[in-house]
Amino acid sequence: MRRTLIRLGLATAIAAALLGAAAVVTRPAPEDPTTVPAAQSAVRPPADLLGDRIARAQQRLRDVPGDWPGWAALGGAYLEQARITADPGLYPKAEQAAKRSLALRRDGNGDALVVLGALANARHDFPAARDHARAALTIDSFDADAYGVLTDALTQLGDAAGATSAAQRMLDLRPGLAAYTRASYDLELRGRLAEANDLMRRGLDGAVDPHDVAFCRVQLGDLAFGRGDLDTASAEYAAALSADPSSIAARHGTLRVMAARGDLRGALTGYAGLTASLPSTSALLEYAELLRLAGREAEASQQLELAEAAEGLFTANGGADGLTAAALALARNRPADAVAAASAEWKKRRHPDVADTLAWALHATGRDAEALPYAERAVAGGGHTAVHTYHLGMIQLSLGRQAEARTEIDRALRTNPYFSPLDASTARRALAGLRP
Amino acid sequence: MSKRSLAWVVAAAVVGVIVWPASPASAHPRGNFSVNQYAGLTLTPDRVEVDAVVDAAEIPTLQDRPRADLDGDGTLRENERSIYARAECARLADGFAVSAGGRLPWTVSGQVYDVLPGTGGLATSRLGCRLSAPVSLRSPATVRVDNSYRVDRVGWREITAVGAGVRLASSSVPAESVSGQLKTYPADVLSSAPDVRSATIEVGGLGETGAAAAAGSGAEAAGIRAQGGPSWLASAQSRVESLLGGRLTPVVVGLAFLLALLLGAGHAALPGHGKTVMAAYFAGRRGRIRDALAVGGTVTLAHTGGVLVLGVVLSTSTALAGEQVLSVLGVVSGVIVVVVGARMLVRTRRGRGLEGHSHEHHSHEHHSHDGHSHDGHSHDHGHSHGHSHESHSHDHHPHDHGHAGSQEPHSHDHHSHGHAHSPEPHSQERAHRHGHGHSHAPRRGFDLAGIGLAGGLVPSPSALVVLLGAIGLGRAGLGVALVLAYGVGMAATLTAVGLLLVVAQNRLAGLIAAGGWAGRAGARLSHLGRRVAAGTPTATAALIVLVGVGIGVRAIA
Repeated sequence: MRRTLIRLGLATAIAAALLGAAAVVTRPAPEDPTTVPAAQSAVRPPADLLGDRIARAQQRLRDVPGDWPGWAALGGAYLEQARITADPGLYPKAEQAAKRSLALRRDGNGDALVVLGALANARHDFPAARDHARAALTIDSFDADAYGVLTDALTQLGDAAGATSAAQRMLDLRPGLAAYTRASYDLELRGRLAEANDLMRRGLDGAVDPHDVAFCRVQLGDLAFGRGDLDTASAEYAAALSADPSSIAARHGTLRVMAARGDLRGALTGYAGLTASLPSTSALLEYAELLRLAGREAEASQQLELAEAAEGLFTANGGADGLTAAALALARNRPADAVAAASAEWKKRRHPDVADTLAWALHATGRDAEALPYAERAVAGGGHTAVHTYHLGMIQLSLGRQAEARTEIDRALRTNPYFSPLDASTARRALAGLRP
Repeated sequence: MSKRSLAWVVAAAVVGVIVWPASPASAHPRGNFSVNQYAGLTLTPDRVEVDAVVDAAEIPTLQDRPRADLDGDGTLRENERSIYARAECARLADGFAVSAGGRLPWTVSGQVYDVLPGTGGLATSRLGCRLSAPVSLRSPATVRVDNSYRVDRVGWREITAVGAGVRLASSSVPAESVSGQLKTYPADVLSSAPDVRSATIEVGGLGETGAAAAAGSGAEAAGIRAQGGPSWLASAQSRVESLLGGRLTPVVVGLAFLLALLLGAGHAALPGHGKTVMAAYFAGRRGRIRDALAVGGTVTLAHTGGVLVLGVVLSTSTALAGEQVLSVLGVVSGVIVVVVGARMLVRTRRGRGLEGHSHEHHSHEHHSHDGHSHDGHSHDHGHSHGHSHESHSHDHHPHDHGHAGSQEPHSHDHHSHGHAHSPEPHSQERAHRHGHGHSHAPRRGFDLAGIGLAGGLVPSPSALVVLLGAIGLGRAGLGVALVLAYGVGMAATLTAVGLLLVVAQNRLAGLIAAGGWAGRAGARLSHLGRRVAAGTPTATAALIVLVGVGIGVRAIA
């Protein structure tokens, strides 16, 4: 027995020595520059980790083209990448991947339905998103992701109760980042801002990926801005930028704070850079407003033209976003078009933002009596954002209801004295005129 | 985790930066917001030249218009376009840094700016510039490219490099543009748009015109590629896959099994799988028919087990690259072969006969191995449970909780992970029991099992593809059965080779006994052989050790 032990030990030692020597002799040569990218992979930013995951999924699907869950996962990864890079070219690819998955397996393919639902939400086709989510839930009633898609769709469609219960279900099934942020938005719409803030903070506590950290920070910044707390907002946006320096939303928030603090020149420079990187409609509208405030009317209208062109492309490509169209028409001083666009959108969905835009468009055409119910509807859910409250107050003022108007306008300014560079001063003047 | 983190997308999309319609009519793969760039480098003995193209989609073209339309009349005249082209090419030259020793000072020429009709009555634009700078590339040098021109925009960014009169030793970028210099963007769901902002090119001095040695493609390394076998193997493999995808009739299933059997047999006929080791072993110690059968049986068991474990691991985890696992298994099989060889060496040196053994030894071996594998097994289990959670979400509490719903695939993952790292002790134990059955030569049994294990441990990529394909199609059971058939096919070939060796040996002996000219030749041969015979066991043992080292090293390299 001893001898066997010795012999075994000897054999192992020889094997190890031989292998070790061979490994040293034949070790790959020191890295030449072509292999540098691979060597750097350990320290690459998370966007590239997602990129790696996508590359692996692509390779796998080339090897195994019939892998239907793989196609759905790839579609989801493309969507995630679209969220991070704001690259809309990824949406069609996500859709192709999800449809491929569905073509391979029609029945019981909840993963693909969830991806298609998320895509429909991104395209503002909320009824389709809701249907996809419900279909996914009939397959698997414990699918937290499907509840996430359902929450978003119902929120946007104005089914507040349905959205709340879907968000709650998601929170029960999987209390993670995605559930916290959705529940937070739901609470925000119902005016429970402190709780919304708490939940977002819990989301932040659990966030590891810098893009997720940046997302939560931006949401916290927006919540702080909404209550007029510029210092907190500014700090949150800065934290977001330090987590993800390329975050467009954080840059946008920083500029809103800058404008609110009266640094018009700095804000204008910033908006020029921001819209050069990503000309989103909301940024262009704010930029145009600031340019107008600075008396640079021609440039303001250039920005609005740009926003209209983007909107035109969106429509030309088969999309429809009445809310953006109405906001643009209002900015271009075409209130009748705004009313048409907003009421078309209202027929499709009953979100507070749509009610508010429709009310404000009607107010702009002088139809205040029609506007009032919509303005009231906008705040009926419990969320009293400064903008909605200000709009309600101004409509009441036009209708001669001075006492109510004073209450609402005062409330708007107390909620957030910086809610708009232009409208906030209008509100102050109106309030001064209303003082008994 | 990978599959399930997608829901997160939606919150952001709705609160949203950008919305996007159903059918982008844009020719630009990255949408109407994109600024797409191509830069083609040509390295000559005394210059670096760059052909740059910037293809801007509708929105950026519109954004650029105020700078181009100098008189503000809404149209771009010839001279306005040329002034804008010069200004923009100067900006591009500023941002496009190329260094070879120091940063190259560009001379810009050939500026053109064309406006083309786009979607929705808007225009797109193409800017063309040619940058050139003097630099000596007659001796080996490193050329680095770093582009910072409009990289904040979403876009397709491509760089290519060719040598003209200089030899490119290596290049991190290809020689050809995949989009035909931004004219036709390939629309493949399975490839991501390139975003290449930097490049490193090694110039090897004067030489032939042309591209560098192919730039390493990361995609290929990421997955498991079918190993280069004969083309009939590849085509048969794809046939298996198409069969599995279709409707399953008894004929199809039967055909699939037949193909799997043939594939396995064919695969085992390819180089590798311990055939050399087996031949050497049999030559060294006179193989018997049951030995050949033992090797074949072990190969089937080890191979089937290995493929199944790896298949489950790979199909539940996208974090694990197949290549790593394969190389680990390769090292393991190398070590096993080396151990077998070393044992033979030791025994030869001691001058012990192969039949000599004691039960004591045997039981000892059995125990130690048994204990070992159990140990390794449970250890892995405990370890990976705490481990792979950590790898994805360190202190990611909500996510952790979140996995409650998807507990099952996760724990599955852990489970097989543990297996994957310890297939060796596991199957060794099994192999050992096999040896135990032939209790007259447990020692020999161990060696044979080792040889079989080494031959079957590294799963064949094509068997894996069959299994993964079946799992992907939701027909895992069929996949397992097919892999088993594949293993049987392999075993058949290997057993046949072993039997052939045994028969050949016996034949030789028979010839010598029978006499005749062949016998005389055989006798002379065997006389020669006898002379060598004294050294034969040592030589074959050494050969086995060498082959084992080779297997291990090939797996590492």
